[in-house]
Amino acid sequence: MRILLENLSKHFGKVRAVDSLNLEIKEGEFLVLLGPSGCGKTTTLLLIAGLYKPTSGNIYFGEKIVNNLSPKDRGIGMVFQSYALYPHMNVYENIAFPLTLMKKSKSEIDKMVREIVKFVQLDEELLERRPGQLSGGQQQRVALARALVKGPNILLLDEPLSNLDAKLRLIMRTEIKHLQKQLGITTILVTHDQVEAMTMGDRIALMQHGKIQQVGTPDELYNQPINLFTAGFIGSPPMNIYNSKIGKDDEGYYVLVEESFKLRFPEKIFRELKEENIFLGIRPEHVSISLQPSNNLISGIVYVTEPLGREVLLNIQVGKVLLKSIAPQNIKLSSGDKVWINFDVNYCHFFDKDGNRIKI
Amino acid sequence: MENYGFKGPIPIIILILICLPIIILYGWLILSSFAVRMEGLKPYGWTLNNWKFLLEKPTFFWQAGEENPNIWVYTFNTLLYSLGITIFTIFICTTAGYAISRLSFRGRRPLLALTIILHSFPSITLLVGIFVVLLFLGLYDRLLGVILVRVALQLPFGIWIMKGFFDSISWDVEMASLVDGCSRLKTWYKIMLPLVSPGILALSVFTFLSGWGDFLFPYIFIPSKTSQTLSVYLRSLTADVRFVDYGLVTAVGLYYMIPIILLYIFAQKYLLNIYTGGTKG
Repeated sequence: MRILLENLSKHFGKVRAVDSLNLEIKEGEFLVLLGPSGCGKTTTLLLIAGLYKPTSGNIYFGEKIVNNLSPKDRGIGMVFQSYALYPHMNVYENIAFPLTLMKKSKSEIDKMVREIVKFVQLDEELLERRPGQLSGGQQQRVALARALVKGPNILLLDEPLSNLDAKLRLIMRTEIKHLQKQLGITTILVTHDQVEAMTMGDRIALMQHGKIQQVGTPDELYNQPINLFTAGFIGSPPMNIYNSKIGKDDEGYYVLVEESFKLRFPEKIFRELKEENIFLGIRPEHVSISLQPSNNLISGIVYVTEPLGREVLLNIQVGKVLLKSIAPQNIKLSSGDKVWINFDVNYCHFFDKDGNRIKI
Repeated sequence: MENYGFKGPIPIIILILICLPIIILYGWLILSSFAVRMEGLKPYGWTLNNWKFLLEKPTFFWQAGEENPNIWVYTFNTLLYSLGITIFTIFICTTAGYAISRLSFRGRRPLLALTIILHSFPSITLLVGIFVVLLFLGLYDRLLGVILVRVALQLPFGIWIMKGFFDSISWDVEMASLVDGCSRLKTWYKIMLPLVSPGILALSVFTFLSGWGDFLFPYIFIPSKTSQTLSVYLRSLTADVRFVDYGLVTAVGLYYMIPIILLYIFAQKYLLNIYTGGTKG
């Protein structure tokens, strides 16, 4: 089902948790609401679920305004961060609970429960257990089964992976994405983990201070961040971002980075850079290093190396600037070594002094 | 079990010494109820005569001509009184506790503060006022009247306790049930009540016991014999100091204690809940 949020606001006293939000979630889409804690992403989800009433604005399901519809009538399934299983019921009763409320017959309930249990790959032996006797991953599957059993039109997931250990998180990440694609159900996932958002979502809505900063595919957010916040939030290790100035000397225009070193770009780029003060951003994988000196490379000193297994994260000091660069794992460097740095000019991002992207 | 430095027999000896007077008195009570007569702590002659009250209606010579109801009437009254208090208290405390814990409404904080103040109010100062109210409502000298009074006094504590239990349940569970298809009311009794059942149990036992042992209010507001409770009856046995039949008093006393002892044995762990608060998922 298509969901449309129109100027949606939710205020708690003076706090604007969600501030005139506009967002469309397409039929069958997997949308991720991403943002730091306190950015209003969970509030937005609870508004969609009907657990909060909007202060102003509208929520459409399909063509219908559902502002005043109670949660039970919205046709939604929801998985909570704590899973919120009912501790006094066993697993079977937990999953059957939404169906018993719909007054289905016993045999019908039994059939539907067993079907969904198979679908989420939950061991049938666990059905008699209490939630307290299950592992985190199993509880997660029960919560998913309970959310899906009544065949909702919309699936809402509130940080479903944050309570799992790292290994299980990877497994469930794949699994939830697979389930979503199989069912084709419109899904909204809330998370503060940008890796989770990048890997799972068809599109990501990045939020800050109750407002959406950027909506787009993971690729768009990563490669064309609309402002400094997106640029800094998406990507791990994060983008290098520097205060820079544009200047001109005998050789032509240059960008002076943090008063430390000059970068030269093709002439046409400077036609778009109208202001003197800008921010320059470049991702660590686009900063390459060389052990041989060269005229057009910048020299720096290795500050610290952080091996990541597959590759090494190098922190390199150039003047006042600390640069992050990703280098192949076989490079032999240690603190204090001298290196030469090359910026891939095709992957540099420019932002004006208010932090908005300058399109080149 | 961790040992926090208190080792050896010394702490136990100290505890026994402190408890000794109480233990001796209870021992004396039990012995005396089966003895012909007591001299100090020593019983002389064994008898079951003291327990005849279970079968006969006792008459006292200073009440010539009057007839006392038999013990079962008093027992029934006490049971009715205790159960009545318990049922009313639980019903009001679970609803009010939920409301104060979960709903936001005007005056929620003042209500909370008021509840605490009421709890610390000495109820004895209200006696005259309550008397007038009961008289006006036509509830004076009726069990229901005293039950209502006792419930009212029990509420602040009970509401506070139940609020604590509701507070300990995560919002997520309640939200999940709303999404799963419950209304707010259905959520309350299908999800929330079972989850606070340890609290309900603890509060029930606690309230029942306090009703069972209650003396002042039944004594003052129920002058009629037919609605009196055991505590008042026990008191009437010792009314005249010169002619107290200690055998009878101790037997009735022991009889009066039996339900409490049984309840304590079976409900200990629930009563502890009231002070630690919270449920185990």
